[in-house]
Amino acid sequence: MLICPERRMEMYKLGQYIYLESPVHRLDPRVKLIAVIALSIIILHVNFVGLIVASAVALAISLFACLSLGLVLKTLRPVLPFFFCLFLLYIFFTPGRPLPPFPIGPLQISYEGLNFGMLQVWKFLLLVVAASIMTMTTTQSEITMGLERLLRPIRFTGISSHDIAMLVSLALRFMPTLLDEMNNISQAQLARGANFNPRTISGKIRAIAYLAVPLAVNIFRRCDELVDAMEARGYQQGHRTYLRELVLSRSDYCLIAAIIVLVVVVVV
Amino acid sequence: MIRVNNLTYSYEKGRSTALKGLDLHIGEGEYIAVIGPNGCGKTTLIRHFNALLIPSAGEVRVDEFSTRDSKSLLEIRRRVGMAFQNADNQIVGMSVEEDVAFGPGNLGLPAVEVRQRVDQALAMVGLTGMRTRPPHTLSGGQKQLLALAGLLAMEPKIIVLDEPTASLDPEGKKKVLTLLQKLNRQGMGIIHVTHSMDEASLAQRVLVMDQGELIADGRPDDILSRVEWLKSLGLAPPHITELMWHLQQGGEDVSTSIFTTAAAVEEITALLVRLRSSTNAYLPRKADGDV
Repeated sequence: MLICPERRMEMYKLGQYIYLESPVHRLDPRVKLIAVIALSIIILHVNFVGLIVASAVALAISLFACLSLGLVLKTLRPVLPFFFCLFLLYIFFTPGRPLPPFPIGPLQISYEGLNFGMLQVWKFLLLVVAASIMTMTTTQSEITMGLERLLRPIRFTGISSHDIAMLVSLALRFMPTLLDEMNNISQAQLARGANFNPRTISGKIRAIAYLAVPLAVNIFRRCDELVDAMEARGYQQGHRTYLRELVLSRSDYCLIAAIIVLVVVVVV
Repeated sequence: MIRVNNLTYSYEKGRSTALKGLDLHIGEGEYIAVIGPNGCGKTTLIRHFNALLIPSAGEVRVDEFSTRDSKSLLEIRRRVGMAFQNADNQIVGMSVEEDVAFGPGNLGLPAVEVRQRVDQALAMVGLTGMRTRPPHTLSGGQKQLLALAGLLAMEPKIIVLDEPTASLDPEGKKKVLTLLQKLNRQGMGIIHVTHSMDEASLAQRVLVMDQGELIADGRPDDILSRVEWLKSLGLAPPHITELMWHLQQGGEDVSTSIFTTAAAVEEITALLVRLRSSTNAYLPRKADGDV
């Protein structure tokens, strides 16, 4: 029986890391990255039955991670309108036997379209769920480190995996800083009478320019300073070390092997 | 430690020179303040100390390494740590401890040693309790302390700071300055570029720059007490020194080599005692019965 630690009721941002002690949290980030990639490959090759099995597995993993179903499903909310549009496209534009009472005029929904649309949208939603489970159980720095280790074999192309990891971690590090800055700029512009809710299209474009231009200028200035600071702290291309070293345990190896076998079985 | 020979630098060829033939020697463990009006070349000068800038002419050596030699770059940057005014743009890690680990990681140290240095550096600046916080949730003062911890984890011989207190509140300023003094007592060299003469008075040696030249180099007592000269350069002497200077101008016998309130109180008290005793000498002593 899995015992989940009690969690204080807090507002979590969607998909944000939630600090908990669970077997899924403890997994090596590389295993989780491989699992998400594997899932996206498997999903392309399965039918309804396979999809139900995959969904059940995802559900089981979220239980093991002590994440409530509601919390996981909530992460789907922002993508729902997009997938709904996708669903409409599938059902209206897939040729096949018409579903009564259609066709109405030029409008037609086919059995095949309904079938296919549901399958596709379910697949996409499952992918989003899988990615959310990963980001909720893995810190950003763990993901970055896992990425760095997984990408090490690309050394032969002349690209250093350390550089890519640095790139990702800098982007994540500066996201909140730039958001703050954008708020500052928009407030400064509002204080000087800028209108951010104009009615005309040209006005809307101008409103974006009011924000984007100073923000872009600030980003360049920040970059200059950041480069100096990084150089001053001895950053060079090539090898570097980290605070933590990722070590795969025996169970991590078993899981990776199992995932690979599963992918091969499904695909072949 | 750092030896500067005839250093000349211009940002663009043929344009006006930012530094004009500077000569300077900085010993180990010195606490130096660099002052001067905006655009005098202080920032340009200190950027030569860890090879962020390479001289157009002349030479800068850190120990036995020339900053021109790109092979010794990492060695120079390990010895000379540098922090800039805006701490926010120096923080690269996604958490406090990861940011401190950036420098040691660049040196290629094994994870165990990186961990040890990170713990040490965080304890030194007093941020141990915030090790897992994301940097954007820190206050301005804490960010500056974090930037300093990032330098300390490289175990440099000297740290160079470009206006580290410029955007801090008084509490944050005090913390940073106290830390600098503590580090210096432990033998670390400090070069502190500042606009605040109060901060400069904490140093053992003050360098004054103007228009790309080093125009004075001496003890804070000698330099910061030249009130009129500092004003002519567009610099503001410490308020307390200016007060003493005004008293002196008014014909009182006081020193202007005074940079702290405590020293000023002592000097003024001494002055009052002298005044009282001299006044008493002229006035007839009050008789008991007089009303």
